[in-house]
Amino acid sequence: MHKMKLSEIVDSLSLSVVTGGIDRDFEGVYAGDFLSRAMSRVEADDLWITIMNNVNVIAVASLTDAAAILLAENVSLMPDALAAAREKDVTVLSSGLSVYELCVALGRYGTVS
Amino acid sequence: MEEFSLYVLDIVMNSVRAGADNIDVTLDDRGGMLTFKVTDDGCGMTKDQLERLTDPFFTTRKTRGVGLGVPFLKMLAEQTGGDVTVSSVAVSDSPEHHGTTLVATFHPDHIDFIPMGDIKDTFVTLIQGNPDVNFTFVHLMDGGEVRLSCAELRSVLGDGIPLSSAEVLAWIRDYLAEAYQEIK
Repeated sequence: MHKMKLSEIVDSLSLSVVTGGIDRDFEGVYAGDFLSRAMSRVEADDLWITIMNNVNVIAVASLTDAAAILLAENVSLMPDALAAAREKDVTVLSSGLSVYELCVALGRYGTVS
Repeated sequence: MEEFSLYVLDIVMNSVRAGADNIDVTLDDRGGMLTFKVTDDGCGMTKDQLERLTDPFFTTRKTRGVGLGVPFLKMLAEQTGGDVTVSSVAVSDSPEHHGTTLVATFHPDHIDFIPMGDIKDTFVTLIQGNPDVNFTFVHLMDGGEVRLSCAELRSVLGDGIPLSSAEVLAWIRDYLAEAYQEIK
């Protein structure tokens, strides 16, 4: 896929911004909840869709340099995870859609090339 | 890490990296609960380090090579209704008696628990990579128990033969396979 600004999908998919800036570009999407696997599969500048909400998610996003975490199903971050996201400057977005619905919506929007 | 045996490997390697000479690993798999306990005589942790042990940013950023091991283990334990507790005495606080004990509990029949994996393989890998460490492995199961003591092995073999030699490792592999076979 080509580069796309986070702000673009925040607008078009009506995502909430939990924390962090949305000016950054993302260049790929990974969806999955198994953190040790995500650690090896999320690439730098990916948008990572997950329902996991603990502090380890922030650590994995930070290590992989994901562009943002997108929490599905209106999952809210645990307080320590939110604090870590703010401290480490990790962008966290959220949506009421499921992981599947988000992937479909992103695909329709043109993130699948 | 999709198998529990890989968590065991990862956590026990923390004890190795802490410079432990003696590492006791117990898996108590009886009565529908799983308790994983590691006791070592490594360099231990200060109170401050211990407090930050489950903080992934502490473990990934400030100490080398520890990784997300303990945070992931804690997450797995909590997902299955269990917990992880760690106690430690730092070598700086007690030069004579130092080390760390980690106890993790799981409900292995919880829907979010992962497959056990090959524990035998984990034990062999640990011995192969760290032949000078005195590992004691104990796996307690409802049908019986499996025990392996590196100190005992060494006293039988003498000092000349490293535990990492091919013949010894093959023997350990067979011994563990047989021991597990008998319980099944």
